[in-house]
Amino acid sequence: MSEPAASPDDIRRGIGARRVLALAALTLAIVIGFLAAQSLAGSAVYYLTPTEAKQRNLAAGQTARLGGQVEPGSLRYEPASRDLRFVIGDGVSRVQVIGTGAPPGLLREGAGAVVEGSFQADGVFRASQVIAKHDEVYQAPPPGATPSHRTTSP
Amino acid sequence: MTFGDIGAGALRAALLFALAGIAAAAFAARYRDTRGLLSARWCALLAFVLVLIADLAMTGALVTHDFGLAYVANNNARETPLFYSVISLWAALEGSILLWTLILAGATAFVAWRATRTLPRLATTALVILFAMLSFFLLLVTTPAADPFVASPFVPENGRGPNPLLQNNPLMALHPPLLYLGYVLFSVPFAYAIASLILGEGGDRWLVATRKYALVSWALLGSGIVAGAWWSYAVLGWGGYWAWDPVENAAIMPWLTATAYLHSVMVEEKRRLLRTWNLALVIATFALTILGTFLTRSGIVNSVHAFSLSAIGPLLLGYLVAILVVSSGLMLWRSRELADRGTLGTPLSREAIFLFQNVLFVAATVTVLLGTLYPLIAEAVSGVQLSIGAPYFDRVEVPIGLALLFLMGVGPQLPWHGASRATLERQFTIPALSAFAGAVIALASGLRGAAPVLTYALAAFVTATVVQEIVRGVRARRVLHGEHAAQALAALFRRSGRRYGGYVVHLGIALIAVAIAASQAGAFEVERTLAPGGAMRAGQYEIRLDAIREVEEPQRRRVITDLTVSGPRGSTQLGPAFAFYPNATQPVGSPGISAGPGEDVYAILAAYDARGKAWATIRVRVIPLVSWLWIGGLVIGIGAVIAALPPPRRREIRAPLLAAEAATGAE
Repeated sequence: MSEPAASPDDIRRGIGARRVLALAALTLAIVIGFLAAQSLAGSAVYYLTPTEAKQRNLAAGQTARLGGQVEPGSLRYEPASRDLRFVIGDGVSRVQVIGTGAPPGLLREGAGAVVEGSFQADGVFRASQVIAKHDEVYQAPPPGATPSHRTTSP
Repeated sequence: MTFGDIGAGALRAALLFALAGIAAAAFAARYRDTRGLLSARWCALLAFVLVLIADLAMTGALVTHDFGLAYVANNNARETPLFYSVISLWAALEGSILLWTLILAGATAFVAWRATRTLPRLATTALVILFAMLSFFLLLVTTPAADPFVASPFVPENGRGPNPLLQNNPLMALHPPLLYLGYVLFSVPFAYAIASLILGEGGDRWLVATRKYALVSWALLGSGIVAGAWWSYAVLGWGGYWAWDPVENAAIMPWLTATAYLHSVMVEEKRRLLRTWNLALVIATFALTILGTFLTRSGIVNSVHAFSLSAIGPLLLGYLVAILVVSSGLMLWRSRELADRGTLGTPLSREAIFLFQNVLFVAATVTVLLGTLYPLIAEAVSGVQLSIGAPYFDRVEVPIGLALLFLMGVGPQLPWHGASRATLERQFTIPALSAFAGAVIALASGLRGAAPVLTYALAAFVTATVVQEIVRGVRARRVLHGEHAAQALAALFRRSGRRYGGYVVHLGIALIAVAIAASQAGAFEVERTLAPGGAMRAGQYEIRLDAIREVEEPQRRRVITDLTVSGPRGSTQLGPAFAFYPNATQPVGSPGISAGPGEDVYAILAAYDARGKAWATIRVRVIPLVSWLWIGGLVIGIGAVIAALPPPRRREIRAPLLAAEAATGAE
């Protein structure tokens, strides 16, 4: 099973090849690292409460995620035009959300929801994605606090 | 005696045997003493039997709805069907850890009885480490933090029932146990790697001894991931199967490093290179299985899988830190013994391709880890909450995946040391033409964009290399042994299982790549609100809403929309539904899927008129080739089985060799 002993020529060639390979592997790693850093900055979506969103004065069109509660009595879905409207709030601030398409099956008034999208110039949030939090035990966040996007044990 | 008493007692007794096993195995390793080994064997077997009793006690408690146990009260109800009661063993945290412990105890007992016959130091030392890990998990399940047999504070009339998402589809019976088997079986290579570091063995004995464990663990983890994707597709009702959710990332990361390891092992065997690297990969894979469990079970990262925050988190974190500190400390201590002895070939040699492949796999792991942990880092550093969505992962992982697909075609075609121009021409003419044909097929089937077209081309490239290899192998056997084509093919798989099983795995990966490209790039969606009797069109299909009806079942109430889908495949009935469970405030949707070889029709009930049942909003996705993803998973499994089967004993070869040895008096 033992390898035949390497001749000096083999070793020289080996070292040269090793250098080329190491260089190529390093380049590869750097390119991927650069790609990852670039993409990371570009696809970070901030997760805000309606209060934070108002404080930050997000530019119209900037993608963000709002998390809060669907205000009771605000959920409207028009089956024919498929217009979806509801208000998402955190006990302090509220934001009118509009979207297109049926709400996810788990979306209920008073329950937690996360909407991804951006503010329009008129301050209405246009959601491209509505996610209902299907936590088994959802605890409403204390007023003004960031709603936990984690679950807590009962 | 209740099930709770039996289970709790069995776990505590098992802990004693596991601790005794550490001492016995250490004695056997230090003095190469048969009595020590015998004690260690019996400790391992008894610990396994006791953990099995505990698992059966929990199953018994679930099946008989013994709500005196908190776990049963929280995860079972009188109405839960028997099947879902049984699989509720892994429906929540404590039960999952119990299953984990059972598998680890099984692996420990297997190693104790199979691998230690001649008392090799390596195996007995590895056994010490396995016993230590088993003791940790037994300590875990006997502390209040994760004790599955804690009594309910009061015995409720009825339990809360399992998580609705987990009792909606029978795939739940398959997906978690496969993942856990994959996760836990990797403990064996890890234990051997650590044992070899402790003993300061320079050779690759640990690696040869655990190659099969690594392969089986890798295959089970891979099947678990595919089963999970299938579950997500069939249950979650969003028409996708992979969302780069932390739980999914936790499963894919150890699979990526294990894949790298399965390949770099060959470089160490053939070329005596990459020793430190292989040890590091095994340690990293094992650490990632624990990290994944920690991330998803501690509730520290945001995940739609929504696991509960638990006191088990800090314990697992401590375990992870201990593993990393001990492993890296040992590697530093033994760094001189780990120096490579071989030399590397040219950049156009197989070992060079393996090197690039390993760099890419590790880069994929690191970038997935970065995307998964970045929200945590950002919150710790600057206090902002943010999420890293699928775009990040798609942008980074798709190019890496394509590069890997390319190397998967190139690697097996290159010889070790280096390739000549003539070899390159002989090996790559047909595959290159096939790649071109693959690109043409992609464009002809309407796919646009660089990534899907490249995927088709590279998948065709890989398939051609595999077919070429198999055809050449068959032809060689026909010439040499005068076998029929089928006979020669079977002999190839049987005799060179590791090599040809690997090729079959490559075919499965190519299949999955095509399925992903087609289903991601070629899917479209139509959403309409229909009154009963109304119809909508989605591509070539007409979907008619026949009725909206309610069904009462013991454990749930369902609202079902009856759809008739007519299209090129004839007409089928689908019933996407909402299920209302008494323990959940929100209904669970279940899609109606008409699967076919060309495309799936995936219907989702998005909303309906609860009062008069006058309308329902139906979303229909037409998803090309997605079934081939699950089939690809099956092909990978078959390939792994071919690779893991022991080759037949070669009596016809050995006999003349022995005669020759006897004649020359050698050895």
